[in-house]
Amino acid sequence: MSYQKSDLQLLPILPSARAPAGSVTATSSPSVVISDDEPGYDLDLFCIPSHYAEDLKRVFIPCGLIMDRTERLARVVMEMGCHHIVALMNRNSDRSIPMTVDFYQTDKSCNYCSDQSTGDIKVVGGDGLSTLTGKNVLIVEDLMDTGKTMQTFLSLVKQHNPKMVKVASLLVKRTPRSVGYRPDFVGFEIPDKFLVRCALDYNESFRDLNHVCVTSETEKAKYKAEGEHSS
Amino acid sequence: MASRSPCVMISDEEPRYDLDLFCVPNHCAEDLDKVFISHGLLLDGTEKLARDVMEDMGGHHVVALCVPKAGHTFFADLLDCIKELNRNSDRFIPMTSYCNDQSTGAIKVTGGDNLSTLAGKKVLIVEDIIDMGKTMQTLLSLVQQHNPKMVEVASLLLKSTPRSIGHRPDFVGFEIPNKFVVWYALDYNEYLRNLNHVCVISETGKAKYKSEAESSG
Repeated sequence: MSYQKSDLQLLPILPSARAPAGSVTATSSPSVVISDDEPGYDLDLFCIPSHYAEDLKRVFIPCGLIMDRTERLARVVMEMGCHHIVALMNRNSDRSIPMTVDFYQTDKSCNYCSDQSTGDIKVVGGDGLSTLTGKNVLIVEDLMDTGKTMQTFLSLVKQHNPKMVKVASLLVKRTPRSVGYRPDFVGFEIPDKFLVRCALDYNESFRDLNHVCVTSETEKAKYKAEGEHSS
Repeated sequence: MASRSPCVMISDEEPRYDLDLFCVPNHCAEDLDKVFISHGLLLDGTEKLARDVMEDMGGHHVVALCVPKAGHTFFADLLDCIKELNRNSDRFIPMTSYCNDQSTGAIKVTGGDNLSTLAGKKVLIVEDIIDMGKTMQTLLSLVQQHNPKMVEVASLLLKSTPRSIGHRPDFVGFEIPNKFVVWYALDYNEYLRNLNHVCVISETGKAKYKSEAESSG
């Protein structure tokens, strides 16, 4: 897996029809690919807060697997070899997303053996963009759907002339609605299903749900009114 | 005897992950082919086991007994989860634990107590992995001699093997196929003691471990 230290060029990928299950586009680092027919797990095989039991149907990606993958991604990011990475969240909120927090933890515990310390990872919200000039920027996202929001945000960030910009997303949906953009670092490539987990849900619900789950029919109706999350 | 709660069944067709998708100790990377069950998933299973144990054995003092094959990782993780549940629930379950470093032979309980303290108690035998069930069977008879009130067995992994001598644990985290997998608790020459994912072995690894091909648990 290679990377350039210069500014990342957006590599155009033709918007595709639904990608075959198991495919990984060649322009980014490998990810765990979750196939369209992944059955997930029974709810009673995991600890689920009981107040969600009737809203959820299956556990799709268990929390522990997410943590393991995040740890690996964070290490890959560290291996970029730059110090003083600015981690940027694509939202104007102080609410830290779990993935960023996990990056922090790994950064602390990671013995990066180079004579440069990795320094700090500073986290800024979407309103701190002017501070990015000349910096190494990592945009961190939990879930990428069509890629439209990320593409827009990326152009915005690049206007501030950072030294380098990379994008990491824990989950990336395989969807025909994709604009074709693919992040540099992907945790899991997932089917185009409606999933919930804390921090993926802007309604502030499910905040204590650590597994990525598929909702049951009762919940879909509740969420329909709020609109589909599309980034 | 059936398990008291459902366990995750991992089949032969379960996807395996490339090593470079996870953090794997560098020194053993050539012995490994794929990640089979990631450490985090094992922890999720441990958490669930802890909950099942609490629900089933609750209300009395429980003595947890562990004779691990290698290290105390699962035992410690399980006890941590139980302590966490104790902290957060209105039901407190006092638990004493004993863990032995010998993997075979007589069980000597650390701390100087002997097994007579098990009389009248609820005992939970904790194993990392059960293969044929020989160790567990030995432990069970030994414990039963001391007239506990009740004995149950919890194991994080259970191998589906025709060589099993039959007794199925009461609590199982993951049932796995009878494949040659490696893990810190399935390490035959102490080289993989810090491998916390269950992995499928590579050809290179197989050659190294050939003489140790059968686990004796």
